Amino acid sequence: MDTRVALLEMLYQHMRRDRLKLESRQFGFDFIEQLTADGAVLDYGQVDSHLVHKYRLLQLSEVAWDRFITGHVNQEYNICLYFDERENSAFCLNLDNNYKSSNTAPIPELDLAVLYLRQHFGEYGMEPLVLKSGRGYHLWCRLQAPAANAALYGFMVRIVAKTMASLHMSGHDYHAVKFNMGPNPRVIDTVSLRAFGSIHARTGMFSQVVTEGEMLGEQASWACLARYVEEKAISSQQFADACRIVKKEIPL
Amino acid sequence: MKTIAVDIDDVLNDFSATLEKTTFPYEASYGLPQETFAHYLALVKGNAMEESEFLTTQFSDFRFRIHAQCYQLAAARPDGVSFMQWLRENGWRTVICTKRDLRLTGGSTKKWLADHHIPYDYLFMTPNKLVFCRQWQVPYLVDDDVFNILYSGQSGVQVYYPVMDKHAAIVTNIARGFRRFEEIQQWIQE
Repeated sequence: MDTRVALLEMLYQHMRRDRLKLESRQFGFDFIEQLTADGAVLDYGQVDSHLVHKYRLLQLSEVAWDRFITGHVNQEYNICLYFDERENSAFCLNLDNNYKSSNTAPIPELDLAVLYLRQHFGEYGMEPLVLKSGRGYHLWCRLQAPAANAALYGFMVRIVAKTMASLHMSGHDYHAVKFNMGPNPRVIDTVSLRAFGSIHARTGMFSQVVTEGEMLGEQASWACLARYVEEKAISSQQFADACRIVKKEIPL
Repeated sequence: MKTIAVDIDDVLNDFSATLEKTTFPYEASYGLPQETFAHYLALVKGNAMEESEFLTTQFSDFRFRIHAQCYQLAAARPDGVSFMQWLRENGWRTVICTKRDLRLTGGSTKKWLADHHIPYDYLFMTPNKLVFCRQWQVPYLVDDDVFNILYSGQSGVQVYYPVMDKHAAIVTNIARGFRRFEEIQQWIQE
């Protein structure tokens, strides 16, 4: 197995393998035939204003999953993954520039939000894997064992609340940042997230790992992912402790 | 294969009429004070937007929730249903083409189509249906959007639209307005 595929399989171990969204510039009814050749079903398609096409595919066989994840790491297209409906061993904060105009431009609030999130995760001994993604950042955390979605979501809501408060206290408008969280039980089967290794559909840029000091290149990003899945997984006890503390800090 | 794209809202259903006539009672689950709820509802019913520099706001969430209710409540046009069934029976490839956010409304949209016995081959969401039709070589589009009607000729896509008040100012061009779906049935066979 390709090492990169193996790394993705580890990071996304409990995410769904029977569905994904495929993002590509390829289109046409013949292309749909190719996508569904292994028995997959096209649920719906999306075409955005920049002519990037997305295809939500259901009922994937293992053969189809292998084909798509291999195509993804080989940069033939991007795949976006769905969280399991009950429990997951990864969770992700998806931060986007929320301005209507020039929403791909860098804004100080986004970088500050990432900084504050690193600090708040750090308070519980956690370190997220930060990726540049589209209009913002993805911050992934990996657990050694799956946890219930409600617990993951409850934890993320509080971390985001702390981050919004930090932005506010530093004189910034937190409305400038759109915070999405996954798994979100309310949209568990509808919202997907681009997998590591994605190529930005418009810019062609690799979704680089962002460390506290720099943005890594493609090879260094894969190497960083390898270290991350090996060394940074959060134990169940550590997560339970963090949930307990943050619930006391922010009772909802 | 003969291919046609068909919009849902105000084409296969009566979305605008549903939005206008439906009473939406205040609920705490909207997360808004009653006054704000009433203000937002008036904006949504008037097809107006709240001024904001941000993409996602309380108002945009509220607007989505009201629209999502209308998607489910809207009545199907019987002649539209018959038209879609006729297309299927006559070997047309049909694409439901909508601006709806199918990420959040895909399930309810598919259920509504099934409940109303509307057959289709593909379901697509796109902000620009003319560009989609051109790219995918779909020569016909049934849609109420004024922009698509105006640019029908330039895009090379033949647009058919259900005649509504909002189309009154449109100067005749290649797009053709219809009152009954049977008219389109006739036109696409010419």
